Amino acid sequence: MQLYLPIAEIPVNIFMIFGMGGAVGFLSGLFGIGGGFLLTPLLIFSGIPPAVAVATVTTQVTASSTSAVLTYWRRKAIDFKLGTMLLVGGVMGSIIGVFLFEVLQKLGQLDLVISLSYVTFLGTIGSLMLVESVRAMRRRRSGQVVRVKRPGQHNWIHGLPFKMRFRQSRLYVSVIPVITLGATIGFLGTILGIGGGFMMVPALIYLLRVPTNVVIGTSLLQILFTMATATVLHAMQTQTVDIVLALALMIGGVIGAQFGARMGQNLRGEQLRLLLALLVLLVGLRFAVDLLLTPEDLYSIAIMGGAGA
Amino acid sequence: MRPLPHRLRTLAATVVTSLALLGGGPSRAEELVTALSADVVSIQSNFTGTEIVVFGQIGVDVKTVPRPGRYDLIVKVEGPAQQITTRRKGRFLGVWVNRDYETFVEVPSFYSLASTARVGELGDRELLDAHGLGLNHLNLAISGHSDVPLSERDDFRQAFLRLRADQGLYSERPESIEFLTNTMFRTTIPLPANIPIGKYSVQGYLIQDGVMLARTEQELAVAKSGFEQVTFNLAQNHPAVYGLLAVILAGITGWLAGLIFRKD
Repeated sequence: MQLYLPIAEIPVNIFMIFGMGGAVGFLSGLFGIGGGFLLTPLLIFSGIPPAVAVATVTTQVTASSTSAVLTYWRRKAIDFKLGTMLLVGGVMGSIIGVFLFEVLQKLGQLDLVISLSYVTFLGTIGSLMLVESVRAMRRRRSGQVVRVKRPGQHNWIHGLPFKMRFRQSRLYVSVIPVITLGATIGFLGTILGIGGGFMMVPALIYLLRVPTNVVIGTSLLQILFTMATATVLHAMQTQTVDIVLALALMIGGVIGAQFGARMGQNLRGEQLRLLLALLVLLVGLRFAVDLLLTPEDLYSIAIMGGAGA
Repeated sequence: MRPLPHRLRTLAATVVTSLALLGGGPSRAEELVTALSADVVSIQSNFTGTEIVVFGQIGVDVKTVPRPGRYDLIVKVEGPAQQITTRRKGRFLGVWVNRDYETFVEVPSFYSLASTARVGELGDRELLDAHGLGLNHLNLAISGHSDVPLSERDDFRQAFLRLRADQGLYSERPESIEFLTNTMFRTTIPLPANIPIGKYSVQGYLIQDGVMLARTEQELAVAKSGFEQVTFNLAQNHPAVYGLLAVILAGITGWLAGLIFRKD
């Protein structure tokens, strides 16, 4: 069934959009990620104008993370205090991101920066997670005791001032790394048009040593509010949020996320991390291939002004 | 296009009336009259492209001695102007990046040319260039600041035309004008689903032996209607409201889904 999108100004097969939303929603619920880094390239690949894809995905991620946040909230698996501090940083990062986004767009190198960032961040984080999860699985197999929280093993982060107590996470850390982390993810998220959960979750685990039982819920809370803000900003700045496309993606996405969240409960942490690591690496590899292989067509056109710009 | 036969009859009537009115007109020997099957193309949620029929008649004055040789016709449809940057990738530190670019200003967003013969047979280069008849005769003005060497300019021009043709937005269809009688003709112009909205211009040209005898021009509006229009206008005129609505919609969808799928 073809449906004409009012903002994207092209007709799409609505079932294909439902399907894409559902598949990405499933992964989003499973891993506690927004799924933006998968959905945005998928939409662009299927012919949606890149600006519309980036802006509309923020709306879809808002919906899927609302649904997921509610699930984790009922399970009391969200540290609201930690989430709020991350969000404070996130808003600051977004503002800087919006500024840089405009500068890069004027220079005509936004696409390159996005591709390089995807390769760099997805590659690095994917590799780190892969190594860590494989080690954890080996330890478990060889019968060693896995200690998720290692008391007494403090890193340099724990020596910083302005300490704050996060009761739910059983943490007593400085707010400096918390706000910095929020700002970094907010900044990258705005530039790349993604929520940044795949970066947030490992950072919270490895840098701040947030217990795994609250890490996904807290990360989702931060994503929800960053993406809601991004939706409004995109709507105001570029008028590229397509509400019809967003609704189709959302319906597919929230349904998928429900199944994903349930399946995630049946898998062990390191198994989830291994799967996510492989997924992240795969997407990163795809971007790397595009950058390195000789393109099929060297030329491309972009509407800069006038009708339909 | 089911209602076509009726429409065609109405159009034929219009053409005949117009011809009668033209009887006492200027002393030009040939006249050209064209009419469109619709003045407005409205885009709704089920829009997957459409076509318009251009219908016309060549009027020859009774006093005029019939010229030997055949008449050639061209129907050109142009969409509202755009500014388009064509970029070319090049290797930089082993990575393919956009390097050279050329910006074409004021180029048509849509271009379709239907004719009775191949473009090259219609007239000389001067005539074709003057009226922008044929993809190779389009005036693609480039913006002042360009780093592309002169010898490579044509590559950018050809790439631009090729990419637009691939999108179905530029086309040249020789021998696609059908004569219904000796003087009445008809052609169908397909409008793809990705056409931009705005004011289009439909121009008819009557040519004989490379000489322009007559031309017509009509306007065609492509506009969104109904829900598509309401949504588009809201996004354009009240972006903050639109953005908040999108967030509320997202919140409600997420909450509802949670409610529906809640097990406990």
